[in-house]
Amino acid sequence: MPSETFSYLPALSAADVRAQVQHLTEAGLIAGIEYAIDPSPRDSYWKLWKLPFVARPSADAVLAEIDQCAAANPAAEIKLVGYDSVRQGQVVSFVVRHAG
Amino acid sequence: MDTHPAHMFDAGVRSYSDTYWRPGYTPADTDILTAFRVTPQAGVPIEEAAAAVAAESSTGTWTQVWTDHLVDIGRYQAKAYRIEPVPGEPDQAIAYIAYPIDLFEEGSISNVMSSIVGNVFGFKAIRALRLEDMRIPPAYMKTFQGPPNGIQIERDRLNKYGRPLLGCTIKPKLGLSARNYGRAVYESLSGGLDFTKDDENINSQPFMRWRDRYGFVMEAVLKAESETGERKGHYLNVTAPTVEQTFERAERARELGSPIIMHDYLTAGFAMHQSLSHWCRANGMLLHVHRAMHAVMDRQKHHGIHFRVLAKWLRMAGGDHLHVGTVVGKLEGDRESTLGVVDLLRLDHIPADPTRGLYFDQTWVSLPAVMPVASGGIHVHHMPDLVDMFGDDSVLQFGGGTLGHPWGASAGATANRVALEACVKARNEGRSLAAEGARILIEAAVHSPALAIAMETWRDVRFEHDTVDTLDVTHAV
Repeated sequence: MPSETFSYLPALSAADVRAQVQHLTEAGLIAGIEYAIDPSPRDSYWKLWKLPFVARPSADAVLAEIDQCAAANPAAEIKLVGYDSVRQGQVVSFVVRHAG
Repeated sequence: MDTHPAHMFDAGVRSYSDTYWRPGYTPADTDILTAFRVTPQAGVPIEEAAAAVAAESSTGTWTQVWTDHLVDIGRYQAKAYRIEPVPGEPDQAIAYIAYPIDLFEEGSISNVMSSIVGNVFGFKAIRALRLEDMRIPPAYMKTFQGPPNGIQIERDRLNKYGRPLLGCTIKPKLGLSARNYGRAVYESLSGGLDFTKDDENINSQPFMRWRDRYGFVMEAVLKAESETGERKGHYLNVTAPTVEQTFERAERARELGSPIIMHDYLTAGFAMHQSLSHWCRANGMLLHVHRAMHAVMDRQKHHGIHFRVLAKWLRMAGGDHLHVGTVVGKLEGDRESTLGVVDLLRLDHIPADPTRGLYFDQTWVSLPAVMPVASGGIHVHHMPDLVDMFGDDSVLQFGGGTLGHPWGASAGATANRVALEACVKARNEGRSLAAEGARILIEAAVHSPALAIAMETWRDVRFEHDTVDTLDVTHAV
């Protein structure tokens, strides 16, 4: 089943995800990680993994958090979110890991 | 007793420039400013023509009247304050005119139009006249509600981030029955589009009455949503013969669960449009705005109203989407001029920029932003250019480019979605869409037979004609 942005492409590789995280952090956005088990398309709120990373850590640190979230929630879908504090909203959101 | 003395006031005709040409006037922060392209009749000095425009669009008339003396004319008169030559056009000039804010009713585009683009466009002393741009001061801007929702609210409601949205106008434009029409909607949405759209000339004709269309379309939208897990919408055109019928249709769209409706703002008129925009704000309904008739006013370079002005008026009157042209497709549109309009719709402060046709700084004082819509004769090969030009906050609409796919609308939709996502992904990876666009599509097509067939079908389709409404090579600001 599609899941919005990038879901019509082949599954993102680890290198693909790294490149997108890199872009998000270089754009000055605040990364966040959300996860959910069997989410409905109408759900605006998945569970938040820790808090959005307002200290703007490196792309590597964000990728490590995605791995931690996946290890702790093996049945969950995980998405990466980018917050823009100037625009005061999300501007990036895509699923980085489908339920395994 | 002689009740008719010869001279009770200074009757007669004075030249407009005596009163209305005020070189060096410094506009007030609350003035509404305009830039007119003026082509005077032979023998009419440019200062007189510019002053005539200022006079006829504000307090002046052709002769002195005794009632002038009961008014503080200086407080209400418009002032032509600067004249600039137009490179390469010796018979034209750009006249800058300042209008005091009290000339206009609060929150009324109709009033602005009746004043500024009223009688003056038929004035005999002027051969042609074009309103190029308009600066709306914050004090007047804040009397407008603006777009009912705005880009960020739309994204949050639809759960779509980090990419342009994808749409498709259902074709043929006219003649489909309601049920067959709903089929085309279902195929397009289930194949991967975010939106489908009524054509502007679909209202409620004998072949398909609006209530039937709304019912079948919304069944298609909701089914595609539940099957794809993505939120979807169809722009239900509510443009109707009367105000009452328009609202009846809007209410029905809301009852059926549609997230968005559509309206043609120029043919229906600004008063109707602003009422509908307010209704959309009150009802949490997105408002897609079509611009039929715009080219009647905005295409000729010497006469009419530039689209950037019509676009500003729309953002003030309210709309969440507005068609702006594609640059690359089948419809007229200069690239830099179109991108100037896109900035006016999306940003909060836009500095003057002659290379984009922007004559004035414009501040929107936090009115919501409008999503520009690129639609008309575009297909998958245009995708890299479109994503490069319009960026994420745009709607790209492929009508023929979806329904014309050899395998049908669902495959056409998938082809466009794959191409779009491949372009966004590559751009984010730092690749140049301008330089590598074709290669990015070829790579994506390896994983998508639907895209490969679409690329083959429209390989040689181009729309290369000269633009009529070009920017001047340079003009000083």
